[in-house]
Amino acid sequence: MGLVFSRLFSSLFGNKEARILVLGLDNAGKTTILYRLQMGEVVSTIPTIGFNVETVQYNNIKFQVWDLGGQTSIRPYWRCYFPNTQAIIYVVDSSDTDRLVVANEEFHAILEEEELKGAVVLIYANKQDLPGALDDAAVTEALELHKIKNRQWAIFKTSAIKGEGLFEGLDWLSNTLKSGGG
Amino acid sequence: MSGHDSKYFSTTKKGEIPELKEELNSQYKDKRKDAVKKVIAAMTVGKDVSSLFTDVVNCMQTENLELKKLVYLYLINYAKSQPDLAILAVNTFVKDSQDPNPLIRALAVRTMGCIRVDKITEYLCDPLQRCLKDDDPYVRKTAAICVAKLYDINAELVEDRGFLDALKDLISDNNPMVVANAVAALAEIQESSSRPIFEITSHTLSKLLTALNECTEWGQVFILDALSKYKAADAREAENIVERVTPRLQHANCAVVLSAVKMILQQMELITSTDVVRNLCKKMAPPLVTLLSAEPEIQYVALRNINLIVQKRPTILAHEIKVFFCKYNDPIYVKMEKLEIMIKLASDRNIDQVLLEFKEYATEVDVDFVRKAVRAIGRCAIKLERAAERCISVLLELIKIKVNYVVQEAIIVIKDIFRRYPNTYESIIATLCESLDTLDEPEAKASMIWIIGEYAERIDNADELLESFLESFPEEPPQVQLQLLTATVKLFLKKPTEGPQQMIQVVLNNATVETDNPDLRDRAYIYWRLLSTDPEAAKDVVLAEKPVISDDSNQLDPSLLDELLSNIATLSSVYHKPPEAFVTRVKTTQKTEEEEYSDAGEQSYSDSPARVAESGASPPASTANPQHPASRQPAAPAALPDLLDLGMDNSGSAIVSVDQPATPAGPPLPVVLPASSGQGLQISAQLIRTDGQIFYSMMFENNSQVPLDGFMIQFNKNTFGLAAGGQLQVPQLLPGTSASTLLPMVLFQNISPGPANTLLQVAIKNNQQPVWYFNDKIYFHVFFTEDGRMERSTFLETWKSLPDSNEVSRDFPASVINSVETTLDHLAASNMFFIAKRKHANQEVLYLSAKIPRGIPFLIELTAVIGTPGVKCAIKTPSPEMAPLFFEAVETLLKS
Repeated sequence: MGLVFSRLFSSLFGNKEARILVLGLDNAGKTTILYRLQMGEVVSTIPTIGFNVETVQYNNIKFQVWDLGGQTSIRPYWRCYFPNTQAIIYVVDSSDTDRLVVANEEFHAILEEEELKGAVVLIYANKQDLPGALDDAAVTEALELHKIKNRQWAIFKTSAIKGEGLFEGLDWLSNTLKSGGG
Repeated sequence: MSGHDSKYFSTTKKGEIPELKEELNSQYKDKRKDAVKKVIAAMTVGKDVSSLFTDVVNCMQTENLELKKLVYLYLINYAKSQPDLAILAVNTFVKDSQDPNPLIRALAVRTMGCIRVDKITEYLCDPLQRCLKDDDPYVRKTAAICVAKLYDINAELVEDRGFLDALKDLISDNNPMVVANAVAALAEIQESSSRPIFEITSHTLSKLLTALNECTEWGQVFILDALSKYKAADAREAENIVERVTPRLQHANCAVVLSAVKMILQQMELITSTDVVRNLCKKMAPPLVTLLSAEPEIQYVALRNINLIVQKRPTILAHEIKVFFCKYNDPIYVKMEKLEIMIKLASDRNIDQVLLEFKEYATEVDVDFVRKAVRAIGRCAIKLERAAERCISVLLELIKIKVNYVVQEAIIVIKDIFRRYPNTYESIIATLCESLDTLDEPEAKASMIWIIGEYAERIDNADELLESFLESFPEEPPQVQLQLLTATVKLFLKKPTEGPQQMIQVVLNNATVETDNPDLRDRAYIYWRLLSTDPEAAKDVVLAEKPVISDDSNQLDPSLLDELLSNIATLSSVYHKPPEAFVTRVKTTQKTEEEEYSDAGEQSYSDSPARVAESGASPPASTANPQHPASRQPAAPAALPDLLDLGMDNSGSAIVSVDQPATPAGPPLPVVLPASSGQGLQISAQLIRTDGQIFYSMMFENNSQVPLDGFMIQFNKNTFGLAAGGQLQVPQLLPGTSASTLLPMVLFQNISPGPANTLLQVAIKNNQQPVWYFNDKIYFHVFFTEDGRMERSTFLETWKSLPDSNEVSRDFPASVINSVETTLDHLAASNMFFIAKRKHANQEVLYLSAKIPRGIPFLIELTAVIGTPGVKCAIKTPSPEMAPLFFEAVETLLKS
């Protein structure tokens, strides 16, 4: 009950809260993106064995962003974080063409999850600054995004290092969530 | 069933766990914090809340220190039950270990150390490494302790990551608290490792002594404990250390006082000046006395420790006996301990005062205490010859009170006094006989019967007295039956008249036919056979002169006492047991084996038929032990061969097999004393190195016709000051048997001056033969220590820093290296460590390092053509005078 009321109030006062998961394979740039969004700067990161959680205020929405480790050993525990999630940011290393197949498999496995049925999906085709990085169209192709049904999604070309594309994606996300997509 | 029916399975009523789960995932911080508190509360009362693991862990990344601590607490408790999910916490730990707040950094690293999950352990290393070098001392000291925890979980990891070196570096830290914790961690690691890890050098010594004055009381305890294990190089150094530590004796914390006492006692071993020792003894008395004004529990601990100290250095408290007088309101356990110490401190000078006290105690109400007091009087009589008469008169006075248990106890101790002072006090037997009827305890009865039997010729009505006991023979406990049997035989041998003859038949009949007790029956048969074969021989055996007993108030074996003294202020010194006996984690040393063996040898004789023959004539030793070596001697060697064989076989088989399991099953030891020159005694021996310690592995073979015992060993002065680090443990060797032993060796004890050589002169002595001298050769490689490995850079630096005059080389034309790997493995087994190799033309050049005690390094360069004879060995070392010995060792190693 409490949850329903608080959501009601926050939408009345225009201060919406959203729980967002940042997922993706290891070394995709999830943690860098999280801290770029939160602090606006590039921090040096080590592989995330576990999770990071930060609050990001953007466009009157308070995003509670959970950045989960992407290593094979940790991926099984992603599901612990699925309940009550409004959106997923799926980060792809666009330059790691070899593992796009794995990224695709993991991505569609997530979409199958019952608990994430209502979550909107934002895809970051990250590491655009690197030579040989695929563009958004190619990533769309590789992830077979056209197969997605009954769900709002968008893909953005990003570079967490340069800070490009991240907030455009967040704009889309906040608009989608405000319009009731979440 | 239609799809709608599924609603019946989902209930709206939620249990506690789902409710908590929801609260934990609340978006409000306060609600989450309350929820975690509820979870912790449930955890503390024993409810299983492990299913909330991820939900709780998700609350971990918070600014709120209180919430963070609660989550950490939860993790410590449940990480083991959810080892897979525990990995989710790792990232937060790593983050927290870099938090700007030192409290959080320390908390993170401490908690990680407490989580004993293998998967987590590997991730702990990087944060730990950082925290060991943290700017904040609180973080560093927490990290130091964490290394010890990690070592317990994964020792290999700790060594691979160089944490041990980091810990050793922390000993030089400028913060005393860090130093103390590093010492504590190293000491704990050392306890669970068989290799030498933590050795105090003269450098660390000064650091520790400085830190000692500045750190907290518990830090002081850690440092003092570590210092007590330090072997000072000489008396002067020991004196200096003691002088720095003496102020600790005034500390208000009794743990500090006891640790300081332990440390001083250990260093005193080395101090030769009697003045200094006397002075130190004087200084240690007041703090020990002060401990006795604390609460009874602390008094007890102090008394148990003082008990040990007094055995080693009676002078310390010789003048303080009054503080051990029992107060009426002391708890019984304190009184008992005080009595023990009073006995130990009793001397000719204070015996009157002590006796007055004992007499007072003997009239108190607590039966156990009264008994112990009576026994104490007897023990004083045995201990102090000049006071014996006074003690006996006190005992007689007590007997006159006619309190049943006092009388019985008195009779038990008087029996011991008779054995201690034969033919001196028998006049009191008459008084004792008056109390005959009141005896109802087996031990007292047995003692009285022994007295009657032993002095049958002086007691006119001895046969009547014994007869009165015989009536109830079948109902008596075994202890009394055995004594009755022996006493009757004695009576018969002393007064072979008709009365006793009848008695003996009754007794023997009773003891052989009508009893189920094998001991009694066997003893009776032996007597019977003796008496029927040769009454004269029986007389020689049964009435043989008994060895005089001695006082047992210093009952602890010297080696055990030393071990306990080195454990003062621990549970070990309270239990009076070595730590291995009750702590399972402690690595077991060979000591335990020997201890068990000696225990077995002292078990009460009633269940060991083998010893009936020798001790049949003596009463059960209640408070006084007969002197073992003497009582083991057969009483009449020639007269009764069959009996003796029986005795010998049993005692022999129990003793001979003392081969230490640690003896390496290598090639046979070289013979150093052939049987031809040792009158049948052959000794093989060799110096070996095992587990970081040098041993003299010895094997004794007795090819002579007589049993040999009482082996002792002595080493002449030698270049390395090798000397025995303990007693030579060789049991009695019967003809045709052999025994092996490992004698621990110590270095730098009696160093011979002059050029270095490998001669080791040994002298062996036993009770039966002249002293044997022989020469052995010291193989230099036994000195190579386990810590001889060098980093490549250190090697280069050391090589450069040594002048060229320190470089020596030699050719071994006969040596050949067939395979680099095999040779390196072989050398590594002897603690010569491989550093690098290079090819030079067709030659292989190998660089190795080794170290000998006192940290003297050897840098080695071996040059050879693989498979071709001829190896060139060049070394650089600060001690080039050792080079010839070193070359000899290398040549030997390459050959084998």
